[in-house]
Amino acid sequence: MKTLLKNRKALVGLAIIATIAILAIAAPWLTEYNPATRTGRPHQAPSMDHILGTTRIGQDVFARVLYGARTSLMVGFGAGLLITVVGTVLGIVSGYRGGKTDEVISFFTNMVLVVPNLPLLLVLAAFIGQASPVVIALILGATSWAWGARVTRAETLSVKQKDFVKSAEMMGEKQWRIMAFEIFPNVISIVGINFIGSVIFAIITQATLEFLGLGDPRAISWGNMLFAAQKASALSVGAWWEILTPCFALAFLGIGMSLLNFAVDEIANPRLRTGNRLGRWSLLVRNGEGRL
Amino acid sequence: MAFLLRRLGFYLAAFLAAATINFFLPRLMPGDPIQLMFSSAGAELPPESLESLKLTFGFVDGPLWKQYLTYIGSIFTGDLGRSIKYFPLPVTSVLGHALIWTLVLMGTATIISFVLGTWLGVMAAWKRGSRFDVIVSVTSIFATSVPAVVTSLIVLFVFGFTLDWFPNGYAADPSLDPAFTLQYISSVAYHGVLPMLTLCTVLIGGFTVTMRNNMINLLGEDYIVMARAKGLSDRRVMLWYAARNALLPTVSSLAIAIGTILGGSLVTEVVFNYPGLGNVLYQAILARDYPVIQGQLLIMTATMLVANFIVDVSYVLLDPRLKAA
Repeated sequence: MKTLLKNRKALVGLAIIATIAILAIAAPWLTEYNPATRTGRPHQAPSMDHILGTTRIGQDVFARVLYGARTSLMVGFGAGLLITVVGTVLGIVSGYRGGKTDEVISFFTNMVLVVPNLPLLLVLAAFIGQASPVVIALILGATSWAWGARVTRAETLSVKQKDFVKSAEMMGEKQWRIMAFEIFPNVISIVGINFIGSVIFAIITQATLEFLGLGDPRAISWGNMLFAAQKASALSVGAWWEILTPCFALAFLGIGMSLLNFAVDEIANPRLRTGNRLGRWSLLVRNGEGRL
Repeated sequence: MAFLLRRLGFYLAAFLAAATINFFLPRLMPGDPIQLMFSSAGAELPPESLESLKLTFGFVDGPLWKQYLTYIGSIFTGDLGRSIKYFPLPVTSVLGHALIWTLVLMGTATIISFVLGTWLGVMAAWKRGSRFDVIVSVTSIFATSVPAVVTSLIVLFVFGFTLDWFPNGYAADPSLDPAFTLQYISSVAYHGVLPMLTLCTVLIGGFTVTMRNNMINLLGEDYIVMARAKGLSDRRVMLWYAARNALLPTVSSLAIAIGTILGGSLVTEVVFNYPGLGNVLYQAILARDYPVIQGQLLIMTATMLVANFIVDVSYVLLDPRLKAA
């Protein structure tokens, strides 16, 4: 944690996320408008009354982007947590137990990795119909754990060989205890990277699903703002504020999360001074873990 | 050979899994799924479309396993049912036409960003710590962390609406007939600039960072030092000793990136109203055209698996160790 605060990328990233979180929490004090109702004439340009203008149906864009941040952050962190928990448990179990358990879990992991994620989510969301943010978080958790499971498994395989695990086995500790108290604390850096990566993924994917019109249109979120703006042809009628506001909000949050991601990566893996999902992947391949 | 065969078997299993999801999803819906799909489509439909919808999802008389076999059988014979929105057009012809556009767009963007990104990564690693490296690395981080939706919309806003340099939608001038004429092809290229620019922005950073990291890891290896000690030119060491080996994991990361590329192209097509799979899907979602939505998953899975297989083959060609195994 201390090294994290010394890293400039981490600091900037944390500052961005904290700013967004504070704005989201303080929404009721920052704007007098209700984000869900009509508060002005349609498509008003930004003015003193409506700092960021109004939407096609006259909702206040500033209020919507503030309250929408709550949804994005909650879905992002909720789904991120879910993805990480599933991935970590499966990864540690399959890495530690080995044998048949490992074969079955690895097979499923590899399978989920090659079925394209977004189309799968689209089909799921289409059948669920008007998926609320909570439902989106749940289906993200159910379908996106594979990458985390694989890297955690790889890490578990190497930790498992260490002496302290062997000695715990000799002492006759139960398997779940070894996995939870000997292995888990030693793969925590991979789990952390997985968590941040999953949060980024969840935020982007939720926005994408909603942008494509698969979300519950009543939910106030950045993805829905984009969907509504696109449906109202906001760009063609010149209402740029309606579409650019959620755009910049998403870009800002994405950059903040990514900076944090890169920083954690650098700290956990000194050889990689920078890296991302692809970078980490290729490192695993280099170590012979990435091959199916 | 054994390696490729094993992969082929695995891909078949993965495709089957996607098909199985498609089979069970409508059966997990509460109530009569066919009626539900039918009513939520909300369109005036002839009664025979109801029948064909039932067939599409394998709702034939008989036990579940028989329905499943019917369904899998029809998929492997290339029958994905009929679209609700464009009834009675079969899903395969709706998607087949769109797939070509997506492949053109996605293929070109992938090749451009792979080549350019890899080259930037090699240069950045070679001059690591320099101003060039810092600019390239930081730009890559920013470009990759912005969602594709946002990049598309911003590109559309700046170049399509504000500057008005490029058209805002469609793959070609609608008044032209599709043909191999210079006029048509140049129209396609002109319309493709913005979606291509978006996709490249989304993709290039990942390739750059991967290549840069691989290179940096490799530059510390003994054989690089050896090559330098032999007095080889910088260029030769950089390209034939370091870059060549660093390329290997990049190629395999390409396989994983294909999923991202597919997702990115879906969104980009919707924003630019490009007649590819993404746009067809968007229209299908709006119309609740379930057969098309499901067919989409299968086609995209197939595309991804084929692309993965191509990567596998090229990996075998690039890495002599795999050929021996």
